[in-house]
Amino acid sequence: MANYEPKIVGFLCNWCTYAGADLAGTSRMQYPPNMRPIRVMCSGAVDSVYILRALLEGADGVFIGGCHPGDCHYVSGNYKARRRMVLFNSVMNSLGLDTDRVWLRWISAAEGRKFADTITEMTEHLSKKGPSAFKDKWEV
Amino acid sequence: MKGTLKVEAKNPEATIRGLFARWLKDSRLSAILVPAYSAGGIATVALFSNPEKLSEAAPLLPAMAVNAASIVAEIARDASANAKVGLFLRPCELRAVVELMKLKQVAPDSLVLIGADCPGTYKAAGFRNVRGEDDDFDNKYVRDQSGYAENVNFRTACQMCEYAKPLVFDLNVGFVGMDPDKELWVEAATDKGKALLEGVELQAQDEPEKRKQTLEKLSAARKAKTAARIEELDKAVMGPEKLVEYFADCLNCHNCMKVCPVCYCRECFFDSDTFQRDIAEHVRVSLRKGATRMPSETLLFHLTRMNHMMASCVQCGICEDSCPVTIGLATLFKKVSQNAQKEFDYVSGSSLDEPLPLATFRESEFARVGEE
Repeated sequence: MANYEPKIVGFLCNWCTYAGADLAGTSRMQYPPNMRPIRVMCSGAVDSVYILRALLEGADGVFIGGCHPGDCHYVSGNYKARRRMVLFNSVMNSLGLDTDRVWLRWISAAEGRKFADTITEMTEHLSKKGPSAFKDKWEV
Repeated sequence: MKGTLKVEAKNPEATIRGLFARWLKDSRLSAILVPAYSAGGIATVALFSNPEKLSEAAPLLPAMAVNAASIVAEIARDASANAKVGLFLRPCELRAVVELMKLKQVAPDSLVLIGADCPGTYKAAGFRNVRGEDDDFDNKYVRDQSGYAENVNFRTACQMCEYAKPLVFDLNVGFVGMDPDKELWVEAATDKGKALLEGVELQAQDEPEKRKQTLEKLSAARKAKTAARIEELDKAVMGPEKLVEYFADCLNCHNCMKVCPVCYCRECFFDSDTFQRDIAEHVRVSLRKGATRMPSETLLFHLTRMNHMMASCVQCGICEDSCPVTIGLATLFKKVSQNAQKEFDYVSGSSLDEPLPLATFRESEFARVGEE
């Protein structure tokens, strides 16, 4: 626990949040290095299997970034991601698993500040919360 | 069009067979899918086309070998409209057919959905011993269940099922709340159903009060039972530690997926090359935690399946019957799917018009998701 640093797997939509992350970087904004970004074409392309695999293999959190509602490059991908998130949370709740380890957030290409702040907030939240129960569980 | 149908010789099952024979003889149906006893006592389902053979059909057979919606998906994926096939199905099977139609896995044109009341069934495995040599077993079951009687030997899912009467049907043949030695309840909901009733002598009337009350009584009792079962389940499954334990015996056989009527992908992602890992990959995963369970990623399979299927799960529990290590899937999926469907005000298989929760969206909904 002493050396615990949360590991976050991030799925960032190509058109908004990934560009937002770029902006945070080029603007030299500081944020914790705990998130490993994976660029995806749309938040609607993030199937639950990717989130679950990250969690079961020991990630402490999963971050999904998409365009604001109404701004999806593919018109409705983020609305579908939103519904899928509702279902995901429902399943996790039914099984008594943490839902606050998976964050879905809308961050546009212009919101470098919001990106840096969100990752900072998530890292702090997971640092306080402690490591995932699946981290050392080889039996999954 | 609805009313009561006179039962001949105190034999409701034979009376229903009589309806089938009429439809096959005058070619209103080319064939009809009905439960049947094979090899003298094993519960199965068969597609009958010759009216002479119908004596071997057992429409009221109270055991479930498969969810017949899986069979419907096999035979009617893109059915031609020149064959008219009747499907004599239980409520949970009809619900699954409805979901499959919405998932574009069943072409509705050539099918007539004929529902049968079903207050519960036995597991197919071992049913031969339950029935013994009793040729009148099905009718006895119908007499016993017409007033609703709790039966702890029914399948787990059946004991929790609140839908003894089909939700969507062209035609329904019912016995709950009736005196099945004298009359059955017959109800056509669509033109297809009405066409089948042409020439059938019905005593036209509204659905009897006694039938409605019995169905309500059953539904209330089953809801209470479900709540109690879920309370028990929670003690065994809630939280990461217990959840891992709950699925600890999983052999990764994927039977639960294969028999699931609504798990419709022709090739499952979990059977794909993605999961064909070589030894180096397994070692890499093992290094992270010091060890890794083999067969690997069984919990991932179940959790993903829940996320993919829970919006359409019809709670038939056939997954549990197929599990070689008896993981209690019926109660678990009942809980998880009910909760999931509640989020979207959706009841799987209850309507052909209501869009699938994950195939639709509204701009103004779930506003807090993605914001906090």
